[in-house]
Amino acid sequence: MRVLAIIPAFNEAKNLPRLIQRFRATAPQVDLCVVDDGSTDETSAVAAGLGATVLRLPSNLGIGGAVQTGYLWALRHGYDAAIQIDGDGQHDPSFISSVLAPLEQGDADVVIGSRFLGAGGFQSTQLRRVGIRYLSWFLRLRCGVIVTDPTSGFRAAGKKAIALFAGIYPADYPEPEAIALAKRSGLKVLEVPVTMEERQHGTSSIKFTGTLYYLIKVSLALLLLPASGQREMISDSKDP
Amino acid sequence: MNDPLIPFRLQVFAVSVLALFLGWVVLLIRRRRLSLTESLSWFLTTLAVMAVTVFPESLRTISHVLDIKIPVNAVFALAFLYVGWNLLSLTLTNSTETVRLRRVIQECAILRAELDALRSPDANQGRSIR
Repeated sequence: MRVLAIIPAFNEAKNLPRLIQRFRATAPQVDLCVVDDGSTDETSAVAAGLGATVLRLPSNLGIGGAVQTGYLWALRHGYDAAIQIDGDGQHDPSFISSVLAPLEQGDADVVIGSRFLGAGGFQSTQLRRVGIRYLSWFLRLRCGVIVTDPTSGFRAAGKKAIALFAGIYPADYPEPEAIALAKRSGLKVLEVPVTMEERQHGTSSIKFTGTLYYLIKVSLALLLLPASGQREMISDSKDP
Repeated sequence: MNDPLIPFRLQVFAVSVLALFLGWVVLLIRRRRLSLTESLSWFLTTLAVMAVTVFPESLRTISHVLDIKIPVNAVFALAFLYVGWNLLSLTLTNSTETVRLRRVIQECAILRAELDALRSPDANQGRSIR
């Protein structure tokens, strides 16, 4: 199984070396693809120096556009699975095998690494946890999918999901919407427990004041999902 | 017969302004600064406004049909519709362009990575991108 790790990174030159070293130690078989989302620091040079494939976006697209570039690369280069992992070092690469396992066994098309399934570790601030619970409830209500950590950026996608996400991927705050998109497209979504850490350097892309905007925007996106009769088509062709 | 809804002098002024506006749009299209597809909405709605200005009695009909008490309020309603329609068409174009631009930026990044891989010394030693 050829696996690509998609690492979206915006000014993560300080966090990348530790993440990539941990990757090499725990999952040496996985190809690394760092998507530099228009960084102003040495992100690209650091990633290239560490032997990762670097996709340098000429302009900042935001997390959704960056991640989708990785899925496009995975689709074009015939990968069987893609793992999404944040460039800020919050996700532990030692959980890669457990995130990939359901894909290998054919139990799921999209696997979400959840920090709320008893694996322990950093579980975000209380305010954000309330928001996450609300989004879980809303996703369940809207598309019948049971996910405890809908905002988790640690996830794996099989071939069908790669093709779907390369064609359509939400632009900003994409994580919960991508789950809904996958579910509505008839893909199997599953969660596995993972632990997360607090980021080492820099600040999160979602600030405290932005949490409310995040919730409103995502709720609206979920509310306005295409009707079930107009499900997104999954194409098996290489080019979307 | 009722009083004219728009006095003649105002009518001439309004038609002139609208004609100038249409002329400006035509000029921009002819100079290839404005695409015909994008300006079609402005074109057709401005022509509609011009028709209402030339035949102001149509305002009485519109206000009667929509149950608007004072015909002048129909002018405001139509003006909001005119601006709203053109703004929506602009937002629609903007959204389409954003999606297109996003894909172009992504393709740029992918091509750049493939080019870098081809240029690297490893590529000459038989390692190539798939």
